[in-house]
Amino acid sequence: MMQPALDHPAAGVQSGSGASPLLLAEGIAKTYFVGGRANAVIGDVSVQLKRGEIVSVVGPSGCGKTTLLNLLCGVLPLSAGRVAWRGQPLTGMPDRVGYMLQKDLLLPWRTALGNVTLGLEIKNVAREEREARAHALLDTVGLKSFHDYYPSKLSGGMRQRVALARTLVTDPEVLLLDEPFAALDFQTKLLLESDMVRLVRSEGRSLLMITHDVEEAVSLSDRVLVLSHRPSRVRAVHDIVLDADRDDMMAVRQSPRFFELVRLIWSQLEVRGSDG
Amino acid sequence: MADAVPDTAAGQTEPMKRDRDLWLVPACQILLLVVLIALWEIATGSAKLSAFLFGSPSAVWEHLVKMALDGSLLRDSLVTGAETLMGFGLGNLIGTVLGLALWYSRFVSRVVQPFIVAIGSIPIVALAPLVIIWFGTGLASKVAMSTLSVVVVALVIAYKGALSVDADQINLMRTLGASKQQIFRKLVVPASLGDIFAGLKLTIGFALIGAIVGEFMSSSECLGHAIFKAGSLYIISKVFAALVATIALALLLTYIVGKVERLLMPWRTFD
Repeated sequence: MMQPALDHPAAGVQSGSGASPLLLAEGIAKTYFVGGRANAVIGDVSVQLKRGEIVSVVGPSGCGKTTLLNLLCGVLPLSAGRVAWRGQPLTGMPDRVGYMLQKDLLLPWRTALGNVTLGLEIKNVAREEREARAHALLDTVGLKSFHDYYPSKLSGGMRQRVALARTLVTDPEVLLLDEPFAALDFQTKLLLESDMVRLVRSEGRSLLMITHDVEEAVSLSDRVLVLSHRPSRVRAVHDIVLDADRDDMMAVRQSPRFFELVRLIWSQLEVRGSDG
Repeated sequence: MADAVPDTAAGQTEPMKRDRDLWLVPACQILLLVVLIALWEIATGSAKLSAFLFGSPSAVWEHLVKMALDGSLLRDSLVTGAETLMGFGLGNLIGTVLGLALWYSRFVSRVVQPFIVAIGSIPIVALAPLVIIWFGTGLASKVAMSTLSVVVVALVIAYKGALSVDADQINLMRTLGASKQQIFRKLVVPASLGDIFAGLKLTIGFALIGAIVGEFMSSSECLGHAIFKAGSLYIISKVFAALVATIALALLLTYIVGKVERLLMPWRTFD
C-alpha cells in the first residue's frame, strides 16, 4: 500500500527515504493584514505526504486549518516557507489534486450526475466519456439510481457522497479534505469514512485531511499532525499503528491502541494559549 | 453497495397543509379585494367621500366596459404593453449583461461605481424632455424612457448577484482547473439567475412607469394618454379604469416572468 515514490528520482526535494514525497511543505506561514493590522494565522508548519499515505491534521478550532489547506493547494499565497508537489515548487493549482470541504458545494442547478461530471467538463472531456465515468462513480458511492436528482432532493450524507464522486471522477492522485464529514450524523460519517478509505487505499491514492475530530483522524490516518492555537505550529506528529483492519472503521475504533492515541492527542490539543 | 434512502425533509411542508394553502391563499386574496372595493363603493355612495373626486368602483366598471366595447382598451393596452415589453427586455438585457460582465474585473467595477450611482440617482422623469428631443414623439422615445428606468436597476442587481457567489465555490472550480471564463459560464451566470429573476420582477413596474411617463409627454393611443386625458377632464373613474388596465398589464408580465423562471430553474423549489 505504501510504496515509496520513485517517479521523480532527479527531483530537487529529498525526503528521508531518498525519494521526493508527493507533497512537502516546509516552514510555511500565513499572516493576514486587515486594516493595517497583522493577524498571524499560521506560524510555522511543515507537512509531508508520501504516495499512498493518509495524513490528518488536527488542531483546536480557529487554528487556521482551512487556511493551511488553501496554502498547500495554491489557492492562497504563502507569507513564508515553501511548498513543493512531487519535488516541484508550487505554481498555481497542483495537478491531479482533488479537493473536498465540509460544505458539499454542489451546484444546485445541476443534477447529481451533472455535479459529478463538472471536473471532466472543465477539462473538456467528451460528453459520453464523462457521463460514463460519472455513472460508474455514482454507482461506487451507492447513488446509482439518484443520478437525475437535484441536490435539494438529496440528504446531507448523499450530497457528500456526490461531492466525493465529483472529487474522484478526475482521478486525482491526492485528496485534500477539509472536515469533509463534520456536518454528518455519526452513522453516516462512519459509513462514508469507510467507503472513502477503501476508495483511497485500493487505488493507491494519497489523502491529506484537516479535521477537528480526533477520533476521525486516528481511525483513518497513517499519521496525525497536531497543531497549536494560532499562529499555529506543529505540536506533535504521531504515527498511527493499529492492530486492526484499517478499512473497517468500527474495528479500528475498538482497538485498545486507538483510545490511547485519542486520549494522548486530546491532551495535546487542550493546552490553551501556550503558543503565541 | 445498496442505494441510500433519500430523506423526506428536503424543504417540504406537510401535504395536508399545502393542499389547504392551495385554495385558502387565493380565496383570502379575492376576499380582501372584494372588501376593499365594497368599502370604496359604500364610502363614495354615501357621500362621505366625493365620487367626483375619488370615482367609484361601479363607474370604473362602466368605463372599462365602454373602453372595451369601443376597442380603445385593447388598442391602448397593446401599445403601452409593447412599449413596456421592449423597454423591459432591452433594459434588462443591457443591464444584466453589463452587471455580470463587471464581475470579470474588480478594477473596472471600482472605476465605474460612482458613475453607476450617479446615473442611478437621476430621476428618469427629468430626462423625459431630452428623450423626446433625441428620440422623437413616437414609439422610440417611450421605449427609451422605459429602458432607462430599468437598466441601472438591472445592472446593480446582476452585479450584486455575481458578487454574492460563494468564494468556496469559486475556489472549488479553481481546484478543478477551471479558467475564469469557465467559472463565469458554469458558476457565476447560473448562480446569479435567482437574483436576475428577482430583478426582472422588480423592474416590470419600473418599465411601466418609464413607458407611461413617456406617454404623458406626447402620445395619442395608449394607457398613459388615456390616464392623462381623463385626469385633465376630471373623469376620475376613467383614470382608475385605465389604471386597472395598467395593473392588469403588470400582473400579466409578472405572471409570464414567473413561468419563465420556473422553466429555466427547474431545480428550485418554489412555494
